[in-house]
Amino acid sequence: MTTKYENPSQIELDIVENVLINVYDPEIEIDIVNLGLIYEVKFDGINQVTVTMTLSTPSCPLGDSIVQDVKESIKRKYSDMEVVVNMVFEPSWNHGMITPEGKRMLGMNN
Amino acid sequence: MTGLQTANAPSASIVVPHFVTGSLAFVVATILLYFSVDEWMTLYFSPKLIAITHILVLGWGTMIAFGALYQLIPVVYETSLFSENLAKITFYSYTLSVIFLSYSFWVASFSNLLFYSSLLMFFSLLLFIINLTWTYRIRTKNNIQSRFISTAIFWLALTEILGTLVALNFKFPFLNNSHLHYLKIHAHVGLAGWFLLLIIGASSLLIPMFVISHQTNDSKLKFTYYAINIGLIGLTVNWILFNYSYLSLLFGLLILAGIVNYLHYIFKIFKNRIRKTLDSALKLTFTSLILIFIPLLISLVILGKNWNDVLDSHWALVYGFGIVFGLISTIILGQIYKTLPFIIWLKIYQPFVGKFKTPLPRELYSEKILKIQMYIYLTGFDILLSGLIFKQIIIIQIGLIGILVAAVLNLFNVLKIVFHKLVLRQVQQPN
Repeated sequence: MTTKYENPSQIELDIVENVLINVYDPEIEIDIVNLGLIYEVKFDGINQVTVTMTLSTPSCPLGDSIVQDVKESIKRKYSDMEVVVNMVFEPSWNHGMITPEGKRMLGMNN
Repeated sequence: MTGLQTANAPSASIVVPHFVTGSLAFVVATILLYFSVDEWMTLYFSPKLIAITHILVLGWGTMIAFGALYQLIPVVYETSLFSENLAKITFYSYTLSVIFLSYSFWVASFSNLLFYSSLLMFFSLLLFIINLTWTYRIRTKNNIQSRFISTAIFWLALTEILGTLVALNFKFPFLNNSHLHYLKIHAHVGLAGWFLLLIIGASSLLIPMFVISHQTNDSKLKFTYYAINIGLIGLTVNWILFNYSYLSLLFGLLILAGIVNYLHYIFKIFKNRIRKTLDSALKLTFTSLILIFIPLLISLVILGKNWNDVLDSHWALVYGFGIVFGLISTIILGQIYKTLPFIIWLKIYQPFVGKFKTPLPRELYSEKILKIQMYIYLTGFDILLSGLIFKQIIIIQIGLIGILVAAVLNLFNVLKIVFHKLVLRQVQQPN
């Protein structure tokens, strides 16, 4: 099977830096990349992207919406790709995972 | 996928009527309080004040609590509500019974209308309890929060049984003690058993979620759970069987220890929170928990005394208003904006998430109005409390005007959320 994507790691980086950075947690109001919810983005080099991510709390009532946002946002740019979201709660999310930019947005002292 | 609860969320048509009716009841109760102040400041347990108290605790507090609980069930129990149809029937039956019950108190129809409206209230609450109990049986999660909420529902049932017995006693006298004696038990079981446990159960789940704080300690919550419940059981049994002042003080102190322990738990969450900037809804929530000290301090002073003397003084009003306006109403005025916008947002925007740029849940209401409402409400409450302490009717009325303005602003904001119209913007294609 051939692919039009020659550089898988470039695709993964693009998804994180240009796509998922525009997906927001509707309550916390910070994008899920700077919030540290994205653990891994893996492109198989053919047509499947697997996003391994978590939520700020397992009880998050808007979890499904965030997952849907992740899938739709990736498909909007890479319409021929299959997007799989792997939701994990181990390791559990903690504030150490927030990026310096995320901390600034939350009003935290670094 | 564990933890994803959107699929279990109830229909907005179940939740929304509770928030609208409750907010309307708050406006009505405040207007009635204003115009009947001369009567209830002369006779502390006047029929009109009992009517307004029931509008406040049932029409406002419990009505919003029902709506919020239907919404919280998927998060707390990790399952969907047992029956949405039963919830709809419960809403209509419950609303009617609040209207009839309050009216029967207002016109002092203790032997006729009160009897029938109490039975309707009993039936309505029974439907609610059946629905929640069955939901509890099919839950997939067992945590301390679900235990708080389930026990709160048990105390609600006991409150209702006691209330119905007192209402029956007006028509068919069979109770030995005065009504005031049973009223005291009825009120405390309702306030400490139903409202307090519910507030602790729900807030211990929601507050860490909204301020992003993971420094939670379940063993502290367990201590609070047992201290309040054992204290309340002891207090109730003592009041029914013995009525010893030292036992009242002992069990009262146990409840107090549970509450103080919970406040310490919340303080740790507040201190370790990641989200430093608090919106008005969260400010109101934290303020309500500080305001709990007003009735707590009063209860410490009066617990060792003869309750019948206390109930016959204006301190009973300070105590009761401190709980209803200080704790219950303040936390509701905050938490409405942490629950209602989400169910409406899910209903309107869920199908468009990721395909269009959607507003955030907080953009469904006016934060500016909420902020104004918060300051007016808290100022109004302070003035009201001062008026009650110093028995000054004009000051009480000024305070009530402030609370009324806040209640109207709240109703406006609630309706703004409920009638929100779809707003979609095209998403800019990432490069």
